Amino acid sequence: MIGLVAQVGDWPTPVVDWHALAPELVLIAGINLVLATDLLLEEGRKWATATLTGFVLLGAFVPVVTLAVIGGDVRALFDGRYVIDDFALILKALFLLTGYVVVLMSQTELEEGGYYQGEFYVLLLCSVLGMVMMTSSRDLVSVFIALELLSIPAYMLAAWRKRDRKSNEAGVKFYLLGVFASAVLLYGMSLLYGATGSTRFDEIAASLASGDLIGLQIVGITFVIAGFAFKVSAVPFHTWAPDTYEGAPTPVTAFLSVASKAAGFVALVLVIFTAFPTADGVYGPLVWVLAALTMTVGNVIALRQTNIVRMLAYSSVSQGGFILMPLAFVNSGDAAEPALKAVVVYLLVYGFTNLGAFAVVIAVARKTRSGAITSFGGLISYAPGLTVLMTLFLASLAGIPPLGGWIAKFNAFKAVLDAGSGSGYALAVVGAVNTAIAAAYYLRVMREMWMNDPPDGDRAPIVTPAPVATALGITAAGTVVLGIVPGLVLRFADLQDLTGALGG
Amino acid sequence: MIADVVPTPTWYLVLAAVLFGIGAVGVLVRRNPLVLFMCIELMLNAVNLSFVALSRKLGDIGGQTAVFFVLVVAAAEVVVGLGIIVSIIRRRPGATADDLATLKG
Amino acid sequence: MQLVVFVIASLMVLVGAVGVVLRRHPVHAALSLVLTLFGVAVHFVAQEAHFLAAVQVIVYAGAIVVLFLFVIMLLGVDSADDLRIERLPIQRPLAAVMGVGIVGLLIAAVVATRGSEPLQAGAGINVAGVGIDDAVAGHDANITQLAGNLFADYVFAFELTSVLLIVAVAGTVVLTRREKPPSEEDAP
Repeated sequence: MIGLVAQVGDWPTPVVDWHALAPELVLIAGINLVLATDLLLEEGRKWATATLTGFVLLGAFVPVVTLAVIGGDVRALFDGRYVIDDFALILKALFLLTGYVVVLMSQTELEEGGYYQGEFYVLLLCSVLGMVMMTSSRDLVSVFIALELLSIPAYMLAAWRKRDRKSNEAGVKFYLLGVFASAVLLYGMSLLYGATGSTRFDEIAASLASGDLIGLQIVGITFVIAGFAFKVSAVPFHTWAPDTYEGAPTPVTAFLSVASKAAGFVALVLVIFTAFPTADGVYGPLVWVLAALTMTVGNVIALRQTNIVRMLAYSSVSQGGFILMPLAFVNSGDAAEPALKAVVVYLLVYGFTNLGAFAVVIAVARKTRSGAITSFGGLISYAPGLTVLMTLFLASLAGIPPLGGWIAKFNAFKAVLDAGSGSGYALAVVGAVNTAIAAAYYLRVMREMWMNDPPDGDRAPIVTPAPVATALGITAAGTVVLGIVPGLVLRFADLQDLTGALGG
Repeated sequence: MIADVVPTPTWYLVLAAVLFGIGAVGVLVRRNPLVLFMCIELMLNAVNLSFVALSRKLGDIGGQTAVFFVLVVAAAEVVVGLGIIVSIIRRRPGATADDLATLKG
Repeated sequence: MQLVVFVIASLMVLVGAVGVVLRRHPVHAALSLVLTLFGVAVHFVAQEAHFLAAVQVIVYAGAIVVLFLFVIMLLGVDSADDLRIERLPIQRPLAAVMGVGIVGLLIAAVVATRGSEPLQAGAGINVAGVGIDDAVAGHDANITQLAGNLFADYVFAFELTSVLLIVAVAGTVVLTRREKPPSEEDAP
């Protein structure tokens, strides 16, 4: 035994920066803590796991803040495979906050629905851990592990309402398509590894930039992007999304449509900006088509929906198109810097706004027990607060100033126009038309709430549970504040930071 | 002499491509969720095969490490997938992918 | 000799794969999968990935396929899946065309970028930074190199997979646990 240890003594021991890894470590400790605590609690006191989970997420937030305050050099660990820079920190903060809001939203729902609670939060924490890891991964293998760490618990969360057929179905569909996408993604990764000689993003970028692209590299890039397109539910890889969103428990839907999707975009940003920036001949047209299709198809189908959750699902598909839009022009003109900023701001704003909309849906559905858009009729007459908030969130999603959604859309269009190419202008036109279409279905919900009468004449007020009210407060504040002072987050999206860390 | 011909990495990559294609076709044509899932396993094996071949070609151990991770994740995926499939089939014996049509629109 | 090994193992892989797709009975499909997995393991050995070959047999053939068979048998879903019924008439040809297209594309890409050098038997794989002398490292060079890479560069990802496994098991137990007695069940 001692001989063995001596033999391995000359291995390069990795240098570990514990402060940089602290958010992940807190989450790992929290997962075990919640899992163990759940075993000790009696059936009636399971709600305590929710509180504990909330504290774990806030606890993981602390090192993120200290890392941001201390600032300084970019911290690169494990031979540049794990990097903590401003980009990573702001998105870690987003994911932790999203996780916290989802915990707030789930609390009442889980207690009233009689689900298994402790394990639910364990899965949620694991998924958040995967997202937090994703923001720092600068290596194909790390990205893959992060992706699985966030998806595998999500498959189970979607099927969590196991007495319900729809939830079962949501889980199976999400699972089979998700695993299929992983296989495609992995195959692309293997080809890319073979054609560039490394799994590290900076080395892949150097190899791709060193000469003309060869066949294997092109196929590899295409497969990798297609694999991530599944995760961000870009058309034509979106078919799982509406079904899964409708069938899953509503807080899980909020989590999937915001956090899981944002993590997919983070992965896309990382591969496009750091691994294949110069290969825009391959990913440019690909992302262009995906973005245009995603916006248009998502919107057109959203117009026809009568169920509020399905409408929000398709609306989130089409919002994904707007986030994809700037990514098509990373290497043309001066578009790189604005493109990165646009995507980061869009992810943050979209996160707050969409979570808020789902929180309102949860609050209203507690009374109406219905998912139909008509069930929102006359909401103003008995729940003015919720109506105003929902109007706020929908207006932000539609991109009406001065809310967050407007800033997000503005930045996205600016990045596309900065590219200064014909295809950029064409995509901007597609985006503009879609913004107008999207306004139609958001306005329809608003009209329902403000103008119509309640479908059954029931005007009893809605009691919003305290956790949901807190969630509404956080998301509304985020939506408004980001709209008025977007500068708060813009400094965290620094291109130099993202690509510079990899060079050195 | 034909016996002296040594397989090159290209041979393995072609084999992996064929295996991946068979798996993908299987995913598209089979309806039983369990068998669908086996076809996905075929695709993952194609990935492993190509990682190992490329690792050998490049003289870099990184590809083998990637295969190690794929194996671990595949194990976790199988556990979760079979769990979800068990819970659905218990409720509805004989379910196929086509019966999953409660949610439409 | 290497050629013979390659041909036999490739036949195992392909026959098994076609079996998974075409056999109507899920049990037969699972057994075909075993054949493929063993074939892939042989390929691993031929390419000096000894450790992975062992893991492939133990984890895939030993654990994963057994799990599949357990589920098939326990649930009694071992009824044949009728391939002749086509729900969507276009699906089968479409799948075939797409499959052939994908394979053709991949093979074209692979062949177009092939390296001319043949594999050198016994050359071993050297990692930059780990630097292992073949003569000294001997027969477990592969495992040593793999471990060195895994526990230095990928140690964090490796540790996180343990979280993944724990969570996967915990979640699956809850998902598949028998329902609570109806008295405790809330009406939806």
